[in-house]
Amino acid sequence: MRTGWLAAGLVLLAAAPAEAARIGEMVEWDFGAQAARFFSLQDPSVRYALGGSMLLGLCCGLMGAFLVVRKLALMGDALSHAVLPGVALGFLWGMTKNPAAIFAGAVGAGLLGAVVVQWIRATTKHREDAALGFVLSSFFGVGIVLFTMIQNLPGGAKSGLDGFMFGQAAALGPEDVWLLAGVTVLALGAVGLFYKEYVLTSFDEGFARSLGWPVKLYHYSLMLLLAFAIVSALQAVGVVLVSAMLIIPAAAAFLLTDRMGAMLAWSAGFGMLAGAAGAFFSFTGRSLPTGPFMVLAAAALFVLALLFAPRHGIVGRLWRRRSRAARIRRENTLKAIYHVMEDGGFREEVVAVDGVAARRHETAAGAGREIGELQRAGLATEADGRVAFTPEGRQRACEIVRNHRLWELYLTNAAQLAPDHVHEDAEVIEHVLGDETVRRLERRLNFARRDPHGKLIPGLADLAGGPPPTARVAGFGGKGGAP
Amino acid sequence: MTGFVPAFEWQRVMVQPWTEDFMVSFWIVVMGFFVAATCGLVGTYLLLRRMALVGDAISHSILFGLVVAFMIFRSGGTTVMFVAAVATGLLTVGIIEFIHRQSRVKTDAAICIAFTTLFAAGVVLLSLAEMKGPVHLDAECVLYGEIAFVPLDPAVEIFGLTLGPAPVVRIAGVLVGLLVLVAVFYKELLVTSFDPALARSLGLRTGIWHYGLMAVLSIVIVSVFEAVGAILAVAMLVVPPMFAAQLSDRLPVRFVLVFLHAALSSLLGYQVSVWLNCSPAGAMVVVGALLFLLAWAVMRPRRAVLPDPTVHA
Amino acid sequence: MMKDFSTTAPPLEVHDLTVAYDRRPVLYGVDLTVPAGSLTGIIGPNGAGKSTLLKAVLGLLPLSAGWVKIFGGTLAQNARRTGYVPQRESVDWDFPVNVMDVVLMGRYGHLPPGRRPGRADREIARACLDQVQMLPLAKRQIGNLSGGQRQRVFLARALAQESDLYFMDEPFAGVDAATEAAIINLLREMKARGKTVVVVHHDLSTARDYFDRLVLLNMRLVAAGPTAEVFTPELLQKTYGGRLTILSDVVQSLGEEP
Repeated sequence: MRTGWLAAGLVLLAAAPAEAARIGEMVEWDFGAQAARFFSLQDPSVRYALGGSMLLGLCCGLMGAFLVVRKLALMGDALSHAVLPGVALGFLWGMTKNPAAIFAGAVGAGLLGAVVVQWIRATTKHREDAALGFVLSSFFGVGIVLFTMIQNLPGGAKSGLDGFMFGQAAALGPEDVWLLAGVTVLALGAVGLFYKEYVLTSFDEGFARSLGWPVKLYHYSLMLLLAFAIVSALQAVGVVLVSAMLIIPAAAAFLLTDRMGAMLAWSAGFGMLAGAAGAFFSFTGRSLPTGPFMVLAAAALFVLALLFAPRHGIVGRLWRRRSRAARIRRENTLKAIYHVMEDGGFREEVVAVDGVAARRHETAAGAGREIGELQRAGLATEADGRVAFTPEGRQRACEIVRNHRLWELYLTNAAQLAPDHVHEDAEVIEHVLGDETVRRLERRLNFARRDPHGKLIPGLADLAGGPPPTARVAGFGGKGGAP
Repeated sequence: MTGFVPAFEWQRVMVQPWTEDFMVSFWIVVMGFFVAATCGLVGTYLLLRRMALVGDAISHSILFGLVVAFMIFRSGGTTVMFVAAVATGLLTVGIIEFIHRQSRVKTDAAICIAFTTLFAAGVVLLSLAEMKGPVHLDAECVLYGEIAFVPLDPAVEIFGLTLGPAPVVRIAGVLVGLLVLVAVFYKELLVTSFDPALARSLGLRTGIWHYGLMAVLSIVIVSVFEAVGAILAVAMLVVPPMFAAQLSDRLPVRFVLVFLHAALSSLLGYQVSVWLNCSPAGAMVVVGALLFLLAWAVMRPRRAVLPDPTVHA
Repeated sequence: MMKDFSTTAPPLEVHDLTVAYDRRPVLYGVDLTVPAGSLTGIIGPNGAGKSTLLKAVLGLLPLSAGWVKIFGGTLAQNARRTGYVPQRESVDWDFPVNVMDVVLMGRYGHLPPGRRPGRADREIARACLDQVQMLPLAKRQIGNLSGGQRQRVFLARALAQESDLYFMDEPFAGVDAATEAAIINLLREMKARGKTVVVVHHDLSTARDYFDRLVLLNMRLVAAGPTAEVFTPELLQKTYGGRLTILSDVVQSLGEEP
């Protein structure tokens, strides 16, 4: 079923660019010229648009990082919709787009939204999702009512308030950029000054409260900064997509680092990059709205991080899984060679590839490939259908066999499992036991020499690279069941 | 400021809509009722499953599906719309789950990433499509719908019977279908929402019920999208069930209350929009939110444990 | 032939069950057979994997290795014969259902899709509620119940399932003395009627009196058998005396592998 709808989604995705490309041809004629204009930064409107977009990316990235680690991602979404009635009221103040009045109104509405969310959660049995959904949509409804009323007023039709919906960076004026700069400085200052407070209250609110910190104050000051960031970003990204600029760069940063400080830096950086990209595409694309392009740029960064983040990326994880599978395959081959030698009482330094193949339940060709891998890794050498360990290979083989038998012994002795249960587990565990665990196991088992099946556990002397334990084992070779 | 709130003239607000403009008023109120009732019905289950914001996500990302479907098929037929909606809804849920599973990004952030990206892609495609020619969808419709234009749609006739404007008939059909589904699968929906572990031990495939609900949610959203837009649809999904939950602890009673809320908010909302000369959909949402506040004021939660007659019996 | 086999197969058979998932209690190579008509308690220290065992048996958690047989078949084949009482915290007690609705959910396994519970189901539900002395509260919303009452509702729901094998996750946790006595009486009654009941239990002091068979668990099976044989200082020491630190570390590192 999943593949079914995924396929349907892919068809939709594939269809879209084809159409877009056709439309792209029409606007291509002025793309080069526009790009040149953009990069020359001669045009003041370009400077304002670029500067404003990057500032908003920085500011939203900072705030968003806290939202992501506090699991408040959708609070950003709710507040960005909730500011709308404030924007409308701010406009009504003088029937002009006075940034200060709009700013004050929107921040007030945003804070009221945050309070209502808390209030619904405290006094009703509704959960956070319902509280956020309520604030988001009903505040927006009030905003729509006010907006449509403003449009009926003389002078209201050309209020340009539509710009607040999807954003238009090209319409940014110097006041807007100064406002953004001020908010960014404020956010940087607050985060810089109260870094440890914000980090601790985000991570462990209960502990912060036990220190006597005013946790509520920090929460609402963060919400205030968030409202500042949202309101100052509205003009460029629009109501619906502000939350994307808060969350997507921060989520990408979250995949790249395990430290809060670094996360803030990455998040702010991604935000600025996405802002610049949005401004560029909007400018070159004939007054296309800026917000969506910024969001798509941020989403592209997120997808890159999702795929290629060093520790948490999908590609890295697949690669590690593959290389681990290859290592396990090599180790199993080494173990098979060891077993064949053991069955022969360690009288021979070399064994037949056929014997190894039988042990591995492989065809001769398959075993040949596996031994080829060992050769490439410098663990074994092969000639005339016979294979021998290199010193390194012998050591690794002894380690694996030792791990296997130690684990079997541990499970039967310490965990009281039946001897016929332990082999399958040991087949897995033998590849993951670290040196430290092996030493703990040996101590726990009093340096036992025999596994539950009576086979010898290769000891330290064997691992030091000496000859296989031929002499000592001669009397015991072949005794006991299959390991 | 003085001219901002128009005077409340009885003749203009209360009489004229129901005499001269009767048909227009009637269809807007009926449409509003159907929209709020349908959304509220499916929203009740969303709230019980704590998935209200998945509704938010799908209502935004559906724009992407609609635009792509329009570009491919060049038509806005009901079937195309429904297929596009279900595909986009499941795509959204799939992306959210993929991000959540394949990385350490939590679900709330994953929701935000998925729907904003799809919405942004939808807006870009829409602007590109607009360059080529007029598109049925526009930005205002996305944001707050065009319920006022519903009465202008051509009426649908079946067996010579004039039913009403096409969007009203469509949403009525969806509502009837939804009611049938809820009636038939009442117990499955109840147990998978209340206690998924029990549901699975009873042999129910909870995953299928989850995706089924998401598909139904997508169809509901796309049917109301034109009338109320992406964001007000969220209000229709969330507010009626919240109102009902405030007043009753019984699921069947909540359904009745959802219908009551839908009727009140659409009728009163329409009157308010006539009075204030504002968007009817927006006014319906505002009235709906006020009704919730009213319910909150009269019914503070009763959570005290009542005395136990069995212990000392 | 098949039918004959399924009636003689033990209600629950677990072989070499291993459950490993990220950073939580895990189980390792558990072998277990629960005979029909027994009242079995699973005991062990915190984090020993008691609830994990129940969830794994019920297919609510993926198995890393081993298999589970219910009446000689899969859980899906015998879903109707199996009842489950989850921990109380596992559901939302603000959910808009009343006591009767919850007990009726026990009947859902007996109803085809689309069929609502009928008069006969309601009669059964009422009888079950009566058995746990909750009939007077049938119409009460579940959020307005005390902890003990909530537990009784869950028990009544399990009774309404009319299963042959029951799994109960800590039914005695946080209930009042009256409820505890009522529950144990009920369990004994169920046993007398030939039902098989498996109970996760945390209280060592009552385990000996309550159950006729015990399973001692601490990540692996320490012992299982009749209470008189298993409830010995030596085996209890083995169960509660310290964790197998190496085992838990190694299994945890397995859970963290990508």
